[in-house]
Amino acid sequence: MASSLTVTNTLSSPKLKTLYRKLSIPIPTTPLSSRLLFNPKTLSSPSLSLNRTRTRHRSFAARAESQNGAEPPSHYDFDLFTIGAGSGGVRASRFAANFGASVAVCELPFSAISSETTGGVGGTCVLRGCVPKKLMVYASHYSYEFEESHGFGWKYDVEPKHDWSTLMANKNAELQRLTGIYKNILNNAGVTLIEGRGKIVDPHTIDVDGKLYSARHILVSVGGRPFIPEIPGSEYVIDSDAALDLPSKPEKIAIVGGGYIALEFAGIFNGLTSEVHVFIRQKKVLRGFDEEIRDFAAEQMSLRGIEFHTEESPQAIIKSSDGSLSLKTNKGTAEGFSHIMFATGRRPNTKNLGLETVGVKMNKNGAIEVDEYSRTSVPSIWAVGDVTDRVNLTPVALMEGGALAKTLFQNEPTKPDYRAIPSAVFSQPPIGQVGLNEEQAIQEYGDVDIFTANFRPLKATLSGLPDRVLMKLVVCAKTNKVLGLHMCGEDSPEIVQGFAVAVKAGLTKADFDATVGVHPTAGEEFVTMRTPTRKIRQAAEGKTDSEVKATAGV
Amino acid sequence: MLIDGEVSQPNEEEAHYDFDLFVIGAGSGGVRASRFSASYGAKVGICELPFHPISSEVIGGVGGTCVIRGCVPKKILVYGASFRGEIEDARNYGWEVSEKIDFNWKKLLHKKTEEIVRLNGIYKRLLNNSGVKLYEGEGKIVGPNEVEVTQLDGTKLSYTAKHILISTGGRATRPAIPGQELAITSDEALSLEELPKRAVILGGGYIAVEFASIWNGMGVTVDLFFRKELPLRGFDDEMRAVVARNLESRGINLHPRATLSELIKTEDGIKVITDHGEELIADVVLFATGRAPNTKRLNLEAVGVELDKTGAVKVDEYSRTNIPSIWAVGDVTNRINLTPVALMEGTCFAKTVFGGQPCKPDHKDVACAVFSIPPLSVVGLSEEQAIEEANGDVLVFTSTFNPMKNTVSGRQEKTIMKLLVDAETDKVLGASMCGPDAPEIIQGIAVALKCGATKAQFDSTVGIHPSAAEEFVTMRSVTRRVAAGSKPKTNL
Repeated sequence: MASSLTVTNTLSSPKLKTLYRKLSIPIPTTPLSSRLLFNPKTLSSPSLSLNRTRTRHRSFAARAESQNGAEPPSHYDFDLFTIGAGSGGVRASRFAANFGASVAVCELPFSAISSETTGGVGGTCVLRGCVPKKLMVYASHYSYEFEESHGFGWKYDVEPKHDWSTLMANKNAELQRLTGIYKNILNNAGVTLIEGRGKIVDPHTIDVDGKLYSARHILVSVGGRPFIPEIPGSEYVIDSDAALDLPSKPEKIAIVGGGYIALEFAGIFNGLTSEVHVFIRQKKVLRGFDEEIRDFAAEQMSLRGIEFHTEESPQAIIKSSDGSLSLKTNKGTAEGFSHIMFATGRRPNTKNLGLETVGVKMNKNGAIEVDEYSRTSVPSIWAVGDVTDRVNLTPVALMEGGALAKTLFQNEPTKPDYRAIPSAVFSQPPIGQVGLNEEQAIQEYGDVDIFTANFRPLKATLSGLPDRVLMKLVVCAKTNKVLGLHMCGEDSPEIVQGFAVAVKAGLTKADFDATVGVHPTAGEEFVTMRTPTRKIRQAAEGKTDSEVKATAGV
Repeated sequence: MLIDGEVSQPNEEEAHYDFDLFVIGAGSGGVRASRFSASYGAKVGICELPFHPISSEVIGGVGGTCVIRGCVPKKILVYGASFRGEIEDARNYGWEVSEKIDFNWKKLLHKKTEEIVRLNGIYKRLLNNSGVKLYEGEGKIVGPNEVEVTQLDGTKLSYTAKHILISTGGRATRPAIPGQELAITSDEALSLEELPKRAVILGGGYIAVEFASIWNGMGVTVDLFFRKELPLRGFDDEMRAVVARNLESRGINLHPRATLSELIKTEDGIKVITDHGEELIADVVLFATGRAPNTKRLNLEAVGVELDKTGAVKVDEYSRTNIPSIWAVGDVTNRINLTPVALMEGTCFAKTVFGGQPCKPDHKDVACAVFSIPPLSVVGLSEEQAIEEANGDVLVFTSTFNPMKNTVSGRQEKTIMKLLVDAETDKVLGASMCGPDAPEIIQGIAVALKCGATKAQFDSTVGIHPSAAEEFVTMRSVTRRVAAGSKPKTNL
């Protein structure tokens, strides 16, 4: 059978067999054919997986055979050694193994809080990012739903109260489960997992806690970590790692930062009934997002009870005798916080990796410099994900990891495509976006038409809560192409995904118009925007001229 | 050959009509057609029956089914009913919710009525603001260019119009079984004085399924009877099975391959007798057994407007009836009975007749949603249709997963997503999803599908993480490949 053939092939490398013995790692008995395309939340029903499996292993066998003839036997322990088993590293390793490569990946031991010596299979996304964050968002959103439910006739004997420890226990149980699943994924793919801190010794050698491994290719996918600026009292500050795993609910929290992490945590703690103050250096939140969305999101969040302090830079944190914290800024001192969280950016984890020794170039932020194929300045060393500080999102790391595996082991040089990457901010209400914002579009294309819808959703008319939704299309006046699509309101991330396919495919406003709405939804607004809210035209002198047209609603 | 409606240059012949367009029925299609025609410069009149939540031969209301007795009130009740599941799910997220939770149906009913009254007003204003003259009363066609409106006080008005548009919609039908008068239709179900404790629903279509979910969420014991093995005939079989499973796991009693044969009034409630001889007692029996076009009292025979055997007005691709001056849009034509489709037909009508741009409504790849809890949404072909229509093999991609929210809440309810791809052209032929937010998620997918997007284009789109929707762009391996011409095995 094809599957046994491929297994034999992999294990027939004497070096590998020795290695398995040396490391006392059980030789994977699971046939390679059981490699499922796995997603942490995807638990396919057995019957479906079986079908998938069959298709996969057939194509795999074919590839493995053909490579057999072409490739000279390798004198390295591994074809690929990956440092860091987060989204990018696991994807690259798994896919490389699927393509017939012998792969090892090393990762630090599991801990909720990351450090120089702790990490965990699954990486930031699973352990300290997307997943726990989203679970916290779900938890915190219920308080809003309880409020909404009053308007729909629901009444509680006693108003619901939140128990912090239940949430933490259930969240952590889920994270443990997921890290286990990730380990299984690697194992099932035939990837050797080594726990420990990997360090590059030379272009083909990695040291993991004193043991040396050789590899034809080395992949650095160690991700990043929260960065807290050194100011007096910064030792009292928590970062997002800690904020996801607090022993008790913050009574009153200051969040410093105006990026997506700051806003997401502001929503989380606000929903879990903490008093939340957000301190931002600039006038507005979410630098880089569409200006209209920035204003709208901050306004909606304020309506839900979050207090924003703009143009305030942190200078010091002072702990008072009663244990409470004060935040000193350029404008004054705010007192009485149980917690102060800094969401002031993240930095690549490139220290103590031996990168300088082998000559891997890094930029001034410490991010590894790579070419379009994710190759570093050292030809046998590659890097994907947040450590390269390109677009720091899980699906992008997955794309980079997948592309790299193809480039290295499938003879198919593949560049990750960074055009029209959609993204979301899980603030409350959330934001979804894809493509260019209005300002970028004007800069790049000059003449653009802006379509907006700013409305009170059906649910709010009943709940009586002050929610609104903002939706926005940025259209190229010359080509009619939809350049960007933005939304702030309930379900935005889910709504935007499908439109991202359309935007990525280069569809026009006319294509949007030709699509019939799904009624009654919020999403249908994107296909029923008939009149531009404004048309922006480069005036003859090259100055932008905004011609505002009244939307007649006809 | 179609176009004659250059109203901007009225000639001698046209000048003698009272209106350029007279519309009978101010629902989604009629209001849209009127407003757009007026915006092209036409002089438009429209008539509609007086407002009431429950429709009849003589009751209607500006806004029509969608606003008063359909989409809007239904969605409001679905919102209301959804909170039960949310409250259950909140517990594992650390929320201590008292065991005693009250649901006050009257409060919701009152707020729902308030909202539809408000929308009714908005629709009237919309018409007024676009210069459309609104008459309250029952419209009849007297001649190819003449309508008569019987007002509330019985007085009759008569107007001539260059074009007449029929957009009277449809109404729920009742099966003729003994005791059928004891049952209600969806109109009444949206406006019940008292919330029933035990409800029996007859029907397997989307209306039946939606009300089953609504009442179930409100704490009503629901028994759902339908003729086939699975509800939602016409949808993808795999999806139908998922919906049935979800309804059941949420506590709805399903009675497949069954119908009701008699209703009897008793002290205790309505005694329901099924064709299997089973007996149940219910407080409310809902017939959701289909809808029929409102064509009976329009006097269509007099002018010879052709109807099909279901009573729907027959129209050509431009929504024109066999009488050149008479047109029809929306449910009364029984094409695809959805609000956005009526809007599209209304828009195309206005463009064709008064905008100088002949325009056929495109009924291909219309997305739709069933607001069951959780909802189902689809666009394009079902697997069965795809196999039948595709020239080559059909690739079926499915993803069944436990939504992230359920990993903590503990709810046992999988989400399923499905893409059907033409193996030869790589075109995505159909997309369906059953799970939370499905209708919102499908809307964007519908744009891609409508424009002939390929699976490769889906694959090249980066996911939004963590979302459910990202599954649609990360389905890498084929679940099954169905050979061209292989007949699907089904008698569902």
